[in-house]
Amino acid sequence: MASEEELVARCLAGEQDAWNDLVRSYSRYVFAICSQGYRLQGADAEDAFQDVFVRVYGRLGTLRNPEALRPWIAQLTRRVCLDRIAAGKREEPSDAEPAGIEITVDELDEAFAVREALEELPEECREVLDRFFCRDESYRTIGEELGIPSGTIASRISRCLGRLRQRLEA
Amino acid sequence: MSSLTPDPVRGAGFAAGRTAAAAARLVADVARASSDSWADAIGVVAQANAFADRLEVLAEADADVFAAALVALATPSAELEPHMQRAAALPLEIAEASSDVASLAALVAERCDGLVRADAAGAAALAAGAAAAAAHLVRANLTVKPDDPRLRTALRAADDARYAASRALEAGI
Repeated sequence: MASEEELVARCLAGEQDAWNDLVRSYSRYVFAICSQGYRLQGADAEDAFQDVFVRVYGRLGTLRNPEALRPWIAQLTRRVCLDRIAAGKREEPSDAEPAGIEITVDELDEAFAVREALEELPEECREVLDRFFCRDESYRTIGEELGIPSGTIASRISRCLGRLRQRLEA
Repeated sequence: MSSLTPDPVRGAGFAAGRTAAAAARLVADVARASSDSWADAIGVVAQANAFADRLEVLAEADADVFAAALVALATPSAELEPHMQRAAALPLEIAEASSDVASLAALVAERCDGLVRADAAGAAALAAGAAAAAAHLVRANLTVKPDDPRLRTALRAADDARYAASRALEAGI
């Protein structure tokens, strides 16, 4: 996976594939901030989503530190959401963020960082972690589905979590 | 007036879920206390806390379903089948999750710091008790027949939990 710095450089060089990669990498993140952080729904969320990437496209050259791409996109998204809320409720100040938004964006950042780190793990680790933490499957079910003894599942999950932690701390 | 209103009956499924959740938190504490000498301990903490969170939710859901089932049983015109099906599904999930807590506790009892080993063994015994209670609720459910796969799954979970607890208790001596 290309670093953020490389991705930004390729976008600024006009590579269409790089723009596609950027949108693909950040679309769920942006949409999550719009819908979960600011509670925008339906057409509002979709319009905000479009606005964010229009602004990213137009302003990427102003990004001073390419490694800070994620927080920069998060900030742009928040601005777009606030503008949209203000447009819908003209009497309210545009800087009135919903309560808990910092926590929500921090949680989303963390969740997306974990997701990226997960994608770098071997398939057997991704599978076992997904089944345990996301699908709430029992040790027996995981063992039967993956063809491994159920008595070894807990240790396997621990080892995979250790590898995930190393990725996140790298 | 509130003192004249009987407390809602939460039932054994709720108690089993909460007991297994408490056992899971204990497993997390013991593993955390052993993290200096055991590389996988932090991963076990994460799993134990995940089980505790899951079981607390299941316990509350079981209490709600059980209360609704009691109302249906007391209402002559009510359709019982959907209530009874739900009332079997939750104890089954509690039995399976409790069994896994017992299994995790046994692993911890074998690897943890000796000072806290008895606590891991105690957690395994609590979780095994919860699994047995939940499995019994599945068996007692009006819609579950002796050859029902749900009953086989529940009883197997209780057996696995009992075996794990015996391992843990042996390690704890």
